[in-house]
Amino acid sequence: MEDVVTHEEDWKVCFAELGPGLVLFARQFVRSIADAEDIVQEAFVRFWRKQHSIENRGLLYATVRSVALDLLRRDGRRARREAAASADMEQITEPQFAFDDGSQRELAAAIDLLPVQQREVLVMKIWNELTFAEIAAALEISQNTAASRYRYALASLKKNFVAHE
Amino acid sequence: MNDFSELEAELKKLRPWPSSPDLAARIEISLAQEAAGRGTATAGVLPKRRSFRPNWIALGLGLAAAAMFLLLARMNVDRPSKSTGLALLTPAPITPEAKVDDALVPSALTQVVYDRKDEGLHFAEGVDQPMRRLRSRKRETMQWNNPKTGASLRVSYPTEEVTLVPISGQ
Repeated sequence: MEDVVTHEEDWKVCFAELGPGLVLFARQFVRSIADAEDIVQEAFVRFWRKQHSIENRGLLYATVRSVALDLLRRDGRRARREAAASADMEQITEPQFAFDDGSQRELAAAIDLLPVQQREVLVMKIWNELTFAEIAAALEISQNTAASRYRYALASLKKNFVAHE
Repeated sequence: MNDFSELEAELKKLRPWPSSPDLAARIEISLAQEAAGRGTATAGVLPKRRSFRPNWIALGLGLAAAAMFLLLARMNVDRPSKSTGLALLTPAPITPEAKVDDALVPSALTQVVYDRKDEGLHFAEGVDQPMRRLRSRKRETMQWNNPKTGASLRVSYPTEEVTLVPISGQ
């Protein structure tokens, strides 16, 4: 992530690095991994087509978020169906994380319980290594708000995760 | 070091579920289609084929405008040699013959009376006897010719003439 990838370099290098994190971020809006991948595909192509610098990761995640929200708005019934079925989704769709042990499974379950606003900040910070400035740009919020949501997310996780341990 | 450093370390150990191997291939196809100018892939709908169809109306209007432009340009090129020469150029001494040749010479004057009315007797001031007043409406046309160039100028205008005719005592 620290390497500066210029626009002229192969997009595959960028995608290999950012792809899993982008899909994980998209899954905060849609539970199905197939839908998340569709969102990432459309967003990545849109981002790349406009010749944006890949260093502008805030804009890349904002594009993913915009495509995801467009998808949800286009099909409200689908969104409702997603929300209604979310309780059963873990048995139907792939999990968001690959677990090594039961402790990680519980931690992943605790993440799933977080409010969406906190979860998307957490995903961008932990698994995509975005700065608060980049997160703020992607979500169109202040850096303080981004940092605050992150802290609330960690506090909730600590409370729930430790309680289950 | 904050209170959450241990938790953050635990979170980083979680690995996102790997995306499908064909996702990169799908993106590659989409980008290739973009590069080829065929737009974003559509769900089973073939992109509309672009074909060159000349717009004959626009083409015709364009040609007409071009022809008009050329015509006006030719007129503008021809005109200054005559008019600006007279207005701006101060030629060398002009001989009387040349002056006559270049000038417009009156060549014709026509008067067409199209109405004449007898308005009866009229007693004019300072005149003892009555006079008959005749009102005539005419159109006069004056014409000038330039013998050298053959150019002509014609001016036509309406006139009204009132004539007082003394009445004889017969």
